[in-house]
Amino acid sequence: MNTLTTIITLLIFPGGLCLLLLGLAYEWVDRKLVARLQNRVGPRWFQPLADTIKLLAKEEVVPENVQARLFTVLPVIALAGALTSALYVPLFGLKPAYSFEGDLIVAIYLLSLLTLCTGLAGANTYNRFSLIGATRTLTQLFSYEAPFLLALFGPAIVAGSWKISEIAGYAESHWLVLTQPVGFIVALIGLMGKLELPPFDAPEAETEIVAGALTEYSGRGLALFHLGKGVELVVGLTLVAAFYLGGVANPLAFFVKTLVILLGLAGLQALFTRLRIEQTVGLWWRYGALLVLVQFLALIVWEGWVA
Amino acid sequence: MQNNQGNLWQNVMDQVKTWARVNSPWAIHFNSGSCNGCDIEILATLTPRYDMERFGVKLQGSPRHADILICTGPVTRQARERLIRIYEQMPEPKFVVAVGSCALSGGAFQGCYNVEGGIDQVLPVNAYVPGCPPRPEAIIDGLVKLLQALDNGTMPEPITLKPGVAVPSKSGNPA
Ligand code: SF4
Repeated sequence: MNTLTTIITLLIFPGGLCLLLLGLAYEWVDRKLVARLQNRVGPRWFQPLADTIKLLAKEEVVPENVQARLFTVLPVIALAGALTSALYVPLFGLKPAYSFEGDLIVAIYLLSLLTLCTGLAGANTYNRFSLIGATRTLTQLFSYEAPFLLALFGPAIVAGSWKISEIAGYAESHWLVLTQPVGFIVALIGLMGKLELPPFDAPEAETEIVAGALTEYSGRGLALFHLGKGVELVVGLTLVAAFYLGGVANPLAFFVKTLVILLGLAGLQALFTRLRIEQTVGLWWRYGALLVLVQFLALIVWEGWVA
Repeated sequence: MQNNQGNLWQNVMDQVKTWARVNSPWAIHFNSGSCNGCDIEILATLTPRYDMERFGVKLQGSPRHADILICTGPVTRQARERLIRIYEQMPEPKFVVAVGSCALSGGAFQGCYNVEGGIDQVLPVNAYVPGCPPRPEAIIDGLVKLLQALDNGTMPEPITLKPGVAVPSKSGNPA
């Protein structure tokens, strides 16, 4: 019985299949919102699903001069990392499937695995566009990762715990977006950087470097990377909503709050043009990291001496 | 019985695959010597006014991600090798749409010393969109007809005027 529940948790609900479908659904919402903001009709509701199935049914070309085994295994690792991180997050407003002391850090680093795999995948091929894309992906990773991490540690400090479920529980009675607005904004924009959404899409800028690190990927590999992105979107939205927008105690709150954040992200995407990679780095290290660091220190002082 | 079930499963899988292919055609655009008139029209097709994302069309930069190669212009001798290379970089199944009179027959450039002819002199073409340049509505119509044919299974054999040309020529042939 116990094994059966574990298997269902891992493969069907809330992990695995449901999560993949939710990722595709959120990708559609994102694309549709951006399309509507640009005064277009936008894709049909099954568009991401059709894209994924089509890619899975396509031929996969393994180019010459690559480490073939690495080439095929990287997308799988990327997707696995994203799926695993979802197990520690309160999806659908349910309790996380697993949790232990310090799972916040583990979950965030599992999420970064996708970006790392993308970078490696680009560096693995001899295609110059892939190489430039890989460099940019990793540069961007180094610029947003620290501020994003600090922004998520803010709620952890006030909750006095490194456990996602406990922080989310604490956040249910405190709307931390009011007390830590800087952290909220940095976390939101960090999420955009993580997902390489415009204006932070320099790593896959199709007008200059074809498709960035994934230029040489076709068929299955591309589909798995896309799925991983979708899962990452859901997990990131859940984390931000649970920490800053008063928790996700029930499914209704989960959907309403994550979709509200997604609306904000779509607006930002439609509003801004692409930043050059050094502008991205400058933005994060000159403003993002500094602001969130100041807030972080203020929080520590407040928690240590005043409260 | 066993065999029947296998066939049923196969049929269902094929239908799902066709459905996905029809609903998610990703395109790549290559100009092999056009005067740019057709390219402007293709860009106009992709703007919010006509919004090709309704049909799931997405312009891709990489041939590895694309399903449909939209070609404009006559094939010049310089561009021939590149056109073939891009076509061969695309994973199966792939389709070619020739857009504009020049892509159909060489059009205004027919008989030029540097021009090989229409796209079908070099690649197997699945759909032709005539016009100089064709309006965005015509391009969308051509694409939708291609997708319908794919859906009904009535896709005609692609047309190649010189069969077997879509192989990069070895050195010694100054094509
Ligand atoms: S068909 Fe007309 S617009 Fe198109 S490339 Fe030829 S001359 Fe230019």
